[in-house]
Amino acid sequence: MDAPSTPIPGGIEGALDVTPQTRSRATYLEVLHDWVVTVDHKKIGLLYIGFALIFLVVAGLEAMAIRIQLAVPHNTFLDARSYNRMFTMHGTTMVFLVGMPILFGFGNYLVPLMIGARDMAFPRLNAFSFWVSAFAGIFLYFSFIGGLGLAGTGTAPDVAWFAYAPLTERPFSPGHNVDYWALALFASGVGSIGTAINILATVFCMRCPGMTLSRIPLLAWIYATVSFLVLVTISPLTAAQVMLLIDRYLGGHFFDTQAGGSAILWAHFFWIFGHPEVYVLVLPAFGFANEIIPVFSRKAIFGYPAMVAATVGIAFISLGVWAHHMFTIGMTSLGNTFFTLSTMLVSIPTGIKTFNWLATMWGGKLRFATPMLFSVGFLFQWVIAGLTGIMLSVSPWNWQLHNSYFVVAHFHYVLVGAILFMIFAAFYYWYPKMTGRMLSETLGKWHFWLMIVGFHLTFDVMHIPGLLGMPRQIYTYEPDRGWTLLNQIVTFGAVIQAVAMAIFVYNLVHSYFAGKLAGPDPWDAWTLEWSTPSPPPTYNFPVDPVVASRRPLWDLKHPEDPDSAFE
Amino acid sequence: MNDMHTPPQTHSHEVHTGTVHLPAPTAWPILLALGVMLLVGSLVMSVWIGALGAFLLVVSAVGWFREVLPHEKHVDVPVQHEIVEIEPSRAGVARIEVDETHRAQLPLQTFPISAGIKGGIAGGIVMLIPAEIYGLLRYHSLWYVVNLLGGAGVAGWANPTPEQLTHFRLGAFITANIIQGATTLLVGLLYGALLPVWPRRPILLGGIVAPVLWTGLLHNVLGIVNPYLQQNIDWWSFAASQVVFGLVAGYVVSRSGNLQRLHQAPLAIRLGVESPGLEGHKTEEDDRR
Repeated sequence: MDAPSTPIPGGIEGALDVTPQTRSRATYLEVLHDWVVTVDHKKIGLLYIGFALIFLVVAGLEAMAIRIQLAVPHNTFLDARSYNRMFTMHGTTMVFLVGMPILFGFGNYLVPLMIGARDMAFPRLNAFSFWVSAFAGIFLYFSFIGGLGLAGTGTAPDVAWFAYAPLTERPFSPGHNVDYWALALFASGVGSIGTAINILATVFCMRCPGMTLSRIPLLAWIYATVSFLVLVTISPLTAAQVMLLIDRYLGGHFFDTQAGGSAILWAHFFWIFGHPEVYVLVLPAFGFANEIIPVFSRKAIFGYPAMVAATVGIAFISLGVWAHHMFTIGMTSLGNTFFTLSTMLVSIPTGIKTFNWLATMWGGKLRFATPMLFSVGFLFQWVIAGLTGIMLSVSPWNWQLHNSYFVVAHFHYVLVGAILFMIFAAFYYWYPKMTGRMLSETLGKWHFWLMIVGFHLTFDVMHIPGLLGMPRQIYTYEPDRGWTLLNQIVTFGAVIQAVAMAIFVYNLVHSYFAGKLAGPDPWDAWTLEWSTPSPPPTYNFPVDPVVASRRPLWDLKHPEDPDSAFE
Repeated sequence: MNDMHTPPQTHSHEVHTGTVHLPAPTAWPILLALGVMLLVGSLVMSVWIGALGAFLLVVSAVGWFREVLPHEKHVDVPVQHEIVEIEPSRAGVARIEVDETHRAQLPLQTFPISAGIKGGIAGGIVMLIPAEIYGLLRYHSLWYVVNLLGGAGVAGWANPTPEQLTHFRLGAFITANIIQGATTLLVGLLYGALLPVWPRRPILLGGIVAPVLWTGLLHNVLGIVNPYLQQNIDWWSFAASQVVFGLVAGYVVSRSGNLQRLHQAPLAIRLGVESPGLEGHKTEEDDRR
């Protein structure tokens, strides 16, 4: 790939990086060695992203298998056990092998660049965290062929992504499927905790001169908050995995209901992790919106302090809402009331964010490039996801619809409509920085519109069979229930989304080799990463940048009207 | 979009050289990760896999320690940079066109938070009067409305009869106080923030319009949230309590002072938009002040 020929400012006070970028041809083995031993935060970020993209395709294929199976009643495309494995692996993969790694990948790549650092605080720990997460993912999928039961679909986990007790106890799951699930998540948790520690230390200790906490980009604030959440919430999950393994291997009875154990204890442990995990995934999506919407509205973000407060507020509130996943377990009326109200409380900080994004766009000079299109789609879909979330937070409503396809539609509105849409926006926005090439706008728009159509066909319609009583996790259904046409529409929408994904993957590969040269700052943006060449050199900045406002590149480009005069 | 947005620069052509210290690449992290994974995976594989994992773990941990102690290994990367002066690519910054008459009632100042708290407390106390009058006249009990409000939070007290609601119950009393206290404080704070924003007659809007809207909303959704409460509630006395709360809270909040209103200020200042150039235009006279 050609290096950008235009010189760019490497330090924010006007230091221009003129270091010769010599690129000798390396053998494949040398390139492989370079990536395997790297401790550079950018390469590790790209490894995370590449790893997650592979698993995104795998999980997408699993989702397609699920949808094909449900397209018609009494379908035999998958048998019951294979179907169980498909939705278990799809859910586990999307959360632990796609969502978290891809967001950690962007965080790894962007946070040091945005705060003017040369690397993460602990570069070797960073490499270790990635590799242990990657091996955990490979280990989980090895379950398809490994261990006992080599025939057919092997021993892949089949207990759903929340793996409720006592189904996971030895008498009900005698093979190794639950062990693969628990051990893989245990190992991946080690990696997540390592990365969380690293990001926290980086944000608080590695900022360049002038980059005070009130000036760091909102994305960095969000990654610090998410890392705090990861530290707090992965611990109970890891503890629960260890307790489960003690039950299964050492005869413990933590979750063994026949011997005085408690299945509800598992539910509490899991959802104390599980609900904040939603915010671990969605907060970085908010962070991407915080960076993209202002740049494509040509205005500074509305209400920076309120956005920071809302981020921290969401994190704290999200730690007190977990039992809204457990209304049907049978809690006291006090418990139901508390978790209904605490869940509704989340809507205040998220509402603040939504209004602030709208206020940022209001009166701005909007540019509807692909990153902005996905961001606008995210805004609409996030609001709808929030509204169905409020409906489900009301315990009597939840009693009616718990474990129905209404719930599945709701959380896919969050995970796909909000998170995945903003991940796509982030790809279109930062791909030029990471590779030096622009993604094709034409293919990007095809990708966006097909995703919009496919997404709404799938997940809008999916609410209705839920309201009609279709439970989740059933592998087939009777033809007289009135669900058939709705399921066919849902499956058709999934096919359209698959086409959109294929276009996206093609765009990623094709543009890497044949995309237009991006230059250092193709979007006329304002944060520090755009002051480096595309892709940035290993050292990021030839001299330490010194910043004086939240938009250092604005100051650099507009010395006659700098932000620093108003902060 | 595809044009380069880097502003024009003037170069001094004086090249400064330096060296950047970066952590040296290393294979120990991947080996340690593999060791950990094999050790963990040995539970479902074989003891030999576990032995290999343990071996890798020990070797890579030692290797890692030797790499950072006593001195961290690093590589030196030579860099060169020039000092440049950036010239703005545009002559000026575009300003947002603002209709000065739009939302001209937005306040220049806001009430202090304490005003909202005082309003909430005062309204919360006074609204008890019509509610208790209803309870006394209809059920001859002070505790009926308290139990009705707090009963939802008492475990094991499902669908009490009206007779049971007329007797004191500690759990319901505590829950009702928490609900009443938290709600009135929050609504008081909301009034403190919103009343200055509403154009003209804030007490009328805060005392009549908002309580009526709030009561109407609750009338429609209470059946979902708490069907039993909806069956037993008297909506006229409930609405009267809300109106009393609104009037008292609005009055207390408004007594905190006459706030200046931004009739002519730019919209960005009224909304707090962080738009450089739109706000903070200081004159020399301002500076002297």
